[in-house]
Amino acid sequence: MKPVNQKVSNGSVLIMRIMVTAGIFLLWELAAVQAWIDPAYVGRPSGIFNSLVSGLIKEGDVWGELGWTLSATFLAFALGSLTAVIVGMLFVLFPTLEKVFEPLLAAMNAMPRIALAPLLIVWFGLGMGSKIAIGFSLTFFIVLQAAVAGGRGINQDHVTLSRTLGLSPSRLFWKVTMPGAVPVMFAGLRLGLVASLLGVVGGEIIASERGLGQKVAYLAAAFDMNGVWALLFVLAFAGILLSWALDRMEAWLLRWQ
Amino acid sequence: MEQIMRRTADTGFTVTSKAHTPELAVAPGAPGPLEIDSATIKFGDVTALTGVSLSVPAGQFVSIVGPSGCGKTTLLNYAAGLLPTEVLTEGAITVFGEQPREGRPELAYMLARDSLLPWRTALGNAEFGAEARGVGKEARRKKARQLLARVGLGAFENAYPKALSHGMRQRVALARTFCLGADLMLMDEPFGALDAQTKMQLEELLLELWQESGSTVIFITHDLSEAIALGDRVIVMAPRPGRIVADVPIDLPRPRHITALQTDPDYHKLYAHIWSSMEKAFAS
Repeated sequence: MKPVNQKVSNGSVLIMRIMVTAGIFLLWELAAVQAWIDPAYVGRPSGIFNSLVSGLIKEGDVWGELGWTLSATFLAFALGSLTAVIVGMLFVLFPTLEKVFEPLLAAMNAMPRIALAPLLIVWFGLGMGSKIAIGFSLTFFIVLQAAVAGGRGINQDHVTLSRTLGLSPSRLFWKVTMPGAVPVMFAGLRLGLVASLLGVVGGEIIASERGLGQKVAYLAAAFDMNGVWALLFVLAFAGILLSWALDRMEAWLLRWQ
Repeated sequence: MEQIMRRTADTGFTVTSKAHTPELAVAPGAPGPLEIDSATIKFGDVTALTGVSLSVPAGQFVSIVGPSGCGKTTLLNYAAGLLPTEVLTEGAITVFGEQPREGRPELAYMLARDSLLPWRTALGNAEFGAEARGVGKEARRKKARQLLARVGLGAFENAYPKALSHGMRQRVALARTFCLGADLMLMDEPFGALDAQTKMQLEELLLELWQESGSTVIFITHDLSEAIALGDRVIVMAPRPGRIVADVPIDLPRPRHITALQTDPDYHKLYAHIWSSMEKAFAS
């Protein structure tokens, strides 16, 4: 079938989006009212809304947990990606180093690293340290691959030009290799940020003193499905906010693209 | 000016070359910008160049023309010090009397593609060469600005390469090259990828900049009309193995204007002359 060639204005797309989203929630609420589904298991939009109002405004207890989770995510992402970029650039500069570490890294990369979480929790405790460690372990490998690919993808014309100009290896690295690697690195950073949040929340669910993940696990165990949904929406929103911040940074750093 | 008499091996015609040298302070007897003496370059078993001799006096604009595989880029890369010295199996190639080496400050190299750094503005790219050579920020920026204005991009200082057309990008590359103030410029088909109109504009620009600079230029092209229009001398090379088959002086008066040359009978006569010698050389 041929796709219909239609021109739709941004305004009507926005209206359609709102309608579809509202429609889903209305249908869900209707299903709960008509007892087609059991709200005790599935939750219901009105209940979720009440939970959100309570958690964010009346009690306000969600903010503290959100702050805790976001702090851990930020630290895991910052440390993980910084380390990955440094190690990646060392690999680009000294290919032998990469060859030596390759089997070790390949094994660690192939393993589902969230399985490290129990170990890391034992090592670093129930506080933020273990969550940062889990987020770090996920982010590091993702960003490392992107950093190495970016560093390797240097334009050969730039190398030739730099050689004829007598650019020293260190200046070639800072003036040509690094800036050229940034676009590819950002693809890895974007995934790495999501992985950091995943690692932190996953760690919180497994065992934690604080954080949104811990609260999700607690509410699910208490069968407060509306509360769980409310926190999931908060987490989704936090994820979107983090990605948006990264987008802004990328747009500024890569304004030449 | 110095007269060069040489007899080229294959075509057998004798040519006299008048070196175009503006008032350039060259000590008599100083080693020439580029001296090639019966050089043979081999990559393993493949002979890229054989028995190539070429003496380029200071200030001369030498065009080297030939089909792909004739070793013209190899010659340039060797002179720029980009190739290991072992590939020169016979003869000698010297740049200002010395072994070629990478990054010599007297030397500028211009590639076929603009090779601009996409994250730098036009100004940042124009000054990149001088920056790499350690020229102070103030001095190089001033010179880069002047050259950008000179190549007609004064209003585009802050534009990134993606916003510039092919022709504009190669103008920035010209500014970057001349910003080095090098005595010897090696150019490897810098205008090869441009459309005819843009190409003529850039050739004109190159001639102007070169005439002000007094530098020596080795200009590689596969376009005979371009070689004649720009050069004081056209070296014709043939492939497999790469060798020089003709060395023809171009005595068209300077300053030249590319557009005016198109209707100049002397220019067309030279073209026909070199073309027929090329046909003869490549047929054998």
